[in-house]
Amino acid sequence: MTSPSAAEACQAVPGHCITCSDEAIEMTVLSVDAERELALCETADGRRETVEIALVSPVRPAERLLAHAGTAIGRQGGVL
Amino acid sequence: MKYVDEYRDAELGQALATQIAAETEPGRHYKVMEVCGGHTHSIYKYGIDDLLPPNVELVHGPGCPVCVIPMGRVDDGIAVAHNDGVIFTCFGDMLRVPGSEHTLLDAKAQGADVRMVYSPLDALRIARENPDREVVFLAIGFETTAPSTALTLKRAKAEGVTNFSCICNHVTIVPPLRALLESPDLRLDGFIGPGHVCTVVGARPFEFIPADYGRPVVISGFEPLDILQSILMILRQLGAGRHEVENQYTRVVPHEGNLRALEVMAEVFELRPHFEWRGLGFISQSALRLSEAYREFDAEARFEVPGVRVADPKACQCGEVLKGVIKPWECKVFGTACTPEHAIGTCMVSPEGACAAYYNFGRFAREREAV
Repeated sequence: MTSPSAAEACQAVPGHCITCSDEAIEMTVLSVDAERELALCETADGRRETVEIALVSPVRPAERLLAHAGTAIGRQGGVL
Repeated sequence: MKYVDEYRDAELGQALATQIAAETEPGRHYKVMEVCGGHTHSIYKYGIDDLLPPNVELVHGPGCPVCVIPMGRVDDGIAVAHNDGVIFTCFGDMLRVPGSEHTLLDAKAQGADVRMVYSPLDALRIARENPDREVVFLAIGFETTAPSTALTLKRAKAEGVTNFSCICNHVTIVPPLRALLESPDLRLDGFIGPGHVCTVVGARPFEFIPADYGRPVVISGFEPLDILQSILMILRQLGAGRHEVENQYTRVVPHEGNLRALEVMAEVFELRPHFEWRGLGFISQSALRLSEAYREFDAEARFEVPGVRVADPKACQCGEVLKGVIKPWECKVFGTACTPEHAIGTCMVSPEGACAAYYNFGRFAREREAV
């Protein structure tokens, strides 16, 4: 069996593959590219990621989104 | 950290644990299933079960997407990955899930071009960057992940990307829950509902549990205080003789779910008549395949796949763990022949799998108890 360490590259939280696990991460919107339906977002621990926002748009900077597998699926406050 | 620390406050956790203990009836044993593997991970990571009274037992459910993939589907993926010119993409943990003989990581070592992606959109990007190669994405996950795959396929279709396809293993959470509730060897008192799945599907799909089976469901967040509060809400329902779907995770989960995500999923996917779940067998209408409008992106139609059903290794008791019939440490090979480094069963592969979560965190508590 090959080393398991390769899987760790997709583990934003150590030891925890957030994509495989169906887990979503709460993130804060920093900036929005409405035309491409993308937003630059930041996690509570400062990790930044570009997120697809087609399923929750429109969004604004400082809003809190729930992102999974590079796609925002919800927003804090629960209103879509 | 803002937005995190307030859900991990130790004093509040102790206060909730005290309220949970006060809510239980002496002599009554409570079995509460956490449906989602993310909850299992949090429970062991934060030692939540150590805070509960002995008569409140947490049973780990089938909500780890990697853990329920049968070996035959892994073999299908490996067969496609070995095709000349194919770039095979999948999420990290899937690389290590054992097929009948090999993993996708083994296939990579044997020369197949297997790449890990964080999002299906990354796989589509690879397809755009490699127009002379066939790029295949192995899609797994419940309703949390399915919208991302659906959105990706919509983009591929809109952009006319023809060298991209998908092996769809997306599953839905309600049918296996119904199967568990029908299981004669499992008595459950309530359910901690999968918060992130519910962000997409909402609360309504879970209403059959109180309506048909008289069991409470509390949709829960994933931080320690979320889970403790959800357990308390379940016990309060039981104490009051109520059974309904309550939403603890209101900061994120709307009652009706994400309608736009559901629309995209309905356009791209359709229900499979049946699908095999590891340890649970075939369950009707429990998984998704590509709809007619997106059939051109179906890798199972584009490539030859073995499609053979493979029995689990005899020593492996993942099925009983997934049904909550036995605890991880009660499996014959747990921690000996089966470890995260050399997993025999899927529950040991993903950190969300009950066995891996327990191996990584929970066993220390048991070792302390033994001392």
